[in-house]
Formats: sequence, structure tokens, C-alpha cells
Amino acid sequence: MLNVLMLGVGQCGNRILDSINKEAFGGNGASKLAKYYLRPKFPSRVETLAINTAVNDLKELRFTTAKDRLHVPNLHGVGANRNVGKQAFMDNRDMIMGEIEKRGDFDVAFVITSTSGGTGSSFSPLLINELKRQYRNITIITVAVLPFREEGSIYLQNAAFCMKELMEVEAEGILLADNQYIKRFSGDIATAYDKINGMIAQRLLFLIESLDSEMLSVTDLGDFKTVMNGGLRIGTMGFYQADSKNLSIRDAIENSFKPANLLYPANVADDAARAMVIIQGSREHLDVDEITKEIERISASAGHVFKGIVVKKGRPKVLSVFTLASAPELESIYAQAARGMQDEKEKRSRARKQLDDAFAHIEDLEEIY
Amino acid sequence: MHRCDVFWMRRSFVLSSLVCLMIVILLIQAACCKESDDDDDEVTFKDFNLNLGDRIDLGDYQMELIEIQSVRDGLVVMRISKVGGSLDEQRALLLDSANNFDGGAQKRGVTITVADIFDEQSAKVRVEYLPGIGTARKRTSERPAAVPDKPELSVQKIFDKSQISVGDEAKVTIIVKNTGTGQAQNINAQDIPPLPEFTYVVGYPPKIKETLDPGESDSAVYVVNAVKEGSIQVPAIVVTYTDGKKNAKSNSSEPLGVMIGPKSKADLVISVADTSPIALDEERLLNISISNQGTASATRIEVTGEVSPSDGLRASDLDKSFFEILPGDEVNYSAKLSGQKAGGYTIHLKASYDGGDGYVIRESTAQVAVLEREYKYQYLLLIIPVAILFAWIYRRYREYKY
Repeated sequence: MLNVLMLGVGQCGNRILDSINKEAFGGNGASKLAKYYLRPKFPSRVETLAINTAVNDLKELRFTTAKDRLHVPNLHGVGANRNVGKQAFMDNRDMIMGEIEKRGDFDVAFVITSTSGGTGSSFSPLLINELKRQYRNITIITVAVLPFREEGSIYLQNAAFCMKELMEVEAEGILLADNQYIKRFSGDIATAYDKINGMIAQRLLFLIESLDSEMLSVTDLGDFKTVMNGGLRIGTMGFYQADSKNLSIRDAIENSFKPANLLYPANVADDAARAMVIIQGSREHLDVDEITKEIERISASAGHVFKGIVVKKGRPKVLSVFTLASAPELESIYAQAARGMQDEKEKRSRARKQLDDAFAHIEDLEEIY
Repeated sequence: MHRCDVFWMRRSFVLSSLVCLMIVILLIQAACCKESDDDDDEVTFKDFNLNLGDRIDLGDYQMELIEIQSVRDGLVVMRISKVGGSLDEQRALLLDSANNFDGGAQKRGVTITVADIFDEQSAKVRVEYLPGIGTARKRTSERPAAVPDKPELSVQKIFDKSQISVGDEAKVTIIVKNTGTGQAQNINAQDIPPLPEFTYVVGYPPKIKETLDPGESDSAVYVVNAVKEGSIQVPAIVVTYTDGKKNAKSNSSEPLGVMIGPKSKADLVISVADTSPIALDEERLLNISISNQGTASATRIEVTGEVSPSDGLRASDLDKSFFEILPGDEVNYSAKLSGQKAGGYTIHLKASYDGGDGYVIRESTAQVAVLEREYKYQYLLLIIPVAILFAWIYRRYREYKY
């Protein structure tokens, strides 16, 4: 059995973690009161911990137990300032690591964070370093959420620097989710957030369940690490559940790679470096020949593809995980962030100059009373 | 009247008065002399209480009490002597008979009469004499009083039980003891008449030794069997005997009462403790006690029990046997009851036993109800889960409350 640590850092990470806990109660079908009469059912031994400097963000969580909410005391958040966030982490490092250590040893850790916020973007790289230092053999996967592009230049700037730092740490890989990309599925922002959080939660739990299941065709944590080490070590996940009208396994696999079902805009055929496809469903739907053929087809363009088949009663479900050999959308973000930072710098210079000109009017004068 | 005449008249009156007074004195004096002469001639008497050896001295006479020869016959031996030896006589005097010595009191001798005999040691003696021969005085003997040879028998008649029942045996003990100083002879114990309330089993009539020396005792035992109930006044036993002088004596025991109750019988009482209702499918012990409230042992006791109606209440171990239950004793045993069907049941217990007068049967019943299954705590079935649910929810609330 896998020992899994799921850390939700910052407001976004906390909410995704809360969605994961909610998913453990039965997903979107779970009642708000489910926590009063059900126990969360995780596929493996999963320990969750929501970390935040803003206590109000922790209070908003609904499906995460109190003991799994860790408030890092730093007034009320770090105000999207990563420098303040880093200082807060270093000041409370022992306390944070002590809380994690209480939860035992782990085979794999998922650090879920927004790249644009204050706490998450500043804590996560440092936290990953500490985890690697403390748990030598742990596999750390960062689940990084990219911001809406219109959220502002500071968020884009934070995302750019956070991603850079995340790439530099020793984590096994980064799974990207792009709010900007996913929000098209929902009308309003609040619904979009819930939808995005739910999608990420569903995919992560499916992944954990599959890695810890006895498979018809085996994929395990080692395969997953190999996939995540491919390309830029940045990847994303796609998921598809066949509907009753079309139970074709080939279509299900194909659909899981379609942009509509991905968390981050990517073209498998063009951008994928390595991939893993995990298929789950009733035995009658799992035609191994068809699966093999479809995987071979994907392999032709996406490089090595690991496949795992889990026999479980129900319609076919497919989770695709792949790493990218190129990330044009990231380049776009960095360019946008750089522009934003440049604009900010120019605005600040202009403002400073205007202020200096204003002060010049009174430069040789003294106060008269 | 002339003054000189008066003087002479007064003088003659005084003189005549003096003469009369002198004549009266002379007459009184003459009378007194006459009376003194009469006293010397008149017999006087004096009573003395004498013990053996005591003596009365009267002038030259000496009178000594020698022996009380027979109290019953009133014979006392006295010795009368006179200084100079003219009289020395030992004579047996009969009670209340005057005995003259030297012609008796009228002739300047003495007359002695035994007025009373107190016991074999002492008597009351009257001495009559003329005052002219002297004054009678008692001289107490300096010899120690002789111990009389006198047997005294004490008699006891003892029943070993003051209360017996018809059919019971009792032991009667006769104890005769010579507490006197002399030998008791010709002893004869008469324990009569035989009483109709008893049959005399053995040892009757009691036999006592014919002679008992001082301090010696003898006893006799006989056994009686009570045949008729009632309060009996047992007559005293009379023991007759004679002393060394063949004086006949007798003594008897104190009368005593004996209560003869009805014939002893065993009386068993069966009681059942705790006949409270029994729940359906419940098992419980029924405690049964059998006590003997009679006066005789019950033997070969067989207790049997039945339940009616026979189905619905299962009873096991109701039957029991005991060899003996002593009077006042109690035996206990338990039967196992098991309620099979709701309803009222009667448990009949019958004890047959030998009560000392043939076989007796005693019966007792006990009512036992088997109740329908109770649901009085059924509300707990609701309250407890609700409480558990609330506790669970509250715990979860606390678990998720931040």
C-alpha cells in the first residue's frame, strides 16, 4: 500500500485539498453533511495537510479535518508577496516539518499549490526542498495551478518566478493545471474554481488508486516517476469516462488526451515526451487488443507510453498523464509576466518622476507658520 | 359558850383521836404477824428449764436432770438427793405427774412435776416446796451437753423432666440421706399410690437400704412412661424409720408437679420463597424450605412437586428426599423454573413423612406467573442510538470545526 502525503499550500492548494477530501467522501455526489456520517475513503493511506498563513482561508474548508489544517502565523497572509512568504516559511519551518513528520513516512507526496498566490508560490519550492531533505526516497510531484491571465501582473510575476523555482528543485515533476484554460467549462468564476478543483481532485485520486491497485497490465510508482522525468518534467493529466452510449475503450483512450479533458492546453501528438495511460472498467469493456493498438498509436507520436489496466466494475475510465517536451503556453505566460513587470516598472518610474517634479516645486522653500 | 369549855372540848377530841389511831396501828401490826406465820406454812413453786446435767438446789435438796428417756412417752429421769445422805433416789418421772419426795411439799419435802419435754436434751420442771426450807436455785451443769443419738432422714424425689409428652419416658430418682447424728433403722420408703398417668417401666417400687448411718445416703431410680396427658401433682414419698431408742420417725419429700403434654409428633411445614413473576424464557431458582415445627423428628421424607397446567412452566428438581428432619430444624433446596409460555401456574408440593405416629402428608401450593416478554426499556432502543448518533455527529463537528 502506498503511503501518500497530500499537501495543499496556500488558498488554492487548500481548496484543491478540500476537494480531494470531498472526493474521498464520494465526489460531487457527496452531501455537504457526508462528513458527519461517512468516513473519507482513500484508495491508499493518504494523509492530507492544508497549510496557509491566512487563517480565514483555512476556515473556509469544509471537508478537511481541523487537525489537517495548519496555520502558519504571519498576520493574515503574505499579501501575494513571495519574499514575505519565504521569510514566513523559514521562520516556521520546524513547526511545519514537525506537523508533516507526525504523519509518518511516505512513498509519494503531492504538493498542490497555486503558482500565483503569496503563500503557495513562496512556500512550495522551499517546502519541496525540506521534504527532499527529510525524506530521502520520497517521490514529490508538484501540482501547480497557473492563474487566470487577467488576475494582474503580480500574480503573473509570482507564477513566473514560482515556476522557475519549482523547476529548479529536486521534485520528480510538475503536473500543471491552468485556470485560464479550464475556466471555459464554466460560466462564473466561483463555479469555475469548484469545477477546476474537482477535476484535479478526481484525477489525483484516480491516479493514486491506480498506482496502488493490482492491474491486469501493470503500472506502478516507478513507471509514474519515469513518465514525470521525461521532457521538461512538466506534465498534465487528462481524464475521460465513457458514457453509456459509447463504451468503446479506444474512444475513451483517445478522448482522455483531447484538449477538452486536459488540465493544461497541450497537444499530445506535438508536445508529449512520455505518457502513461491508466484504464479502468468492467472486464467486458477492456479489450486488451484494442487498448494495445490505441496505445501503440499514441506511442508513435508521444514517445514511450506506459499502460495500466485495472479491472473494476463500471464504465471505462481513462486517466492519461504525460510530460511535455515543449510548453508554448508557459512561454506565453513568462512573456506576459515580463511585460507586466516591465509595465509595472515603467509606471513606477513615471510615478516617481511625477512625484519628484512635484516635490521640485517646494525644493527651495521652507515651511512658514 | 365559855372560852374554857371550848378549850376542854378541843382537848378531849384530840386525845380520843390519838387513842383511835393507836388502836388501828396495833390492829394492823397484829394482822401482819398473823400473815407472816401463814406464809411459812404455804407451799410455793418455781419452774426451771433444765438441760441434761442441770441441777436445782433447794436447802439440803439437790435435783438433777439425768435423762430424757422418751419424749414421746413423756418420761424423764431425775436424781433427787439430800445433803447428809438421807435421800438419794433416781426416778423416772412421767410428764405432768407430781412426784413427792420426803413426803412432798406439804410435809416439808419437795414435789417435782415434769411440766414439759422440749427435746431429748431439755425439759421444764416444776419444784413445789415450803418456803421455810429454802429458796430453789438452778445450778447449770458444767459438763458439755451430750450429743444426742438422733437420726434425721432427708428425702428427695426428683423427676428428670418437668414437662414430658405422652409416650415419653421419665426417670424418677429417690434420694434418702441421713443428716442426723444417729443411725436410722427400719427405713421404709413408701412411694404410693402408683399414678394412672404413668406406666411403671422398671425399678418400681423403689428400694432403700433399711439402715443408714449418719451421713450415709441411698437412692433408688425407677422409670415411668407417660400414658395420659395432663398436669400431674406427683405425691411425695414418705420414709419411715426409727432411731436407736426405737422412736419412730418419718419424713417425706416435697410434692412436685409434672406436665404431660400430648404425644410428640412431627409437623412439617412447606414454604416457598420468592414467587415473584418470571419473565418468558427466563430461568430462575425456586427456593423451597421444609421446617419441622413439631416435637418429634420426621423421618423418611419424600417431597414431590407438580406444576399445573403442565406445559408452559418447566420445573426441574422439585422432587427431593430427606432421611430425617429434627424438631425445629429446617431443610432447604432449590428447583429450577423456566418460563416457556406466559400465564399463571400453580406448583403443588406434597411431602409425605413418618411423623412418629404413622405416615403423614403435608401439602403446599405456590403461584408463579410467567410474564409476557417485557418491553419497558424499549425506548432505550431509540434513545441510545439517537444519543450515539448525536455523539457521533458532535464528534465529527468537533473534528472538522476549525
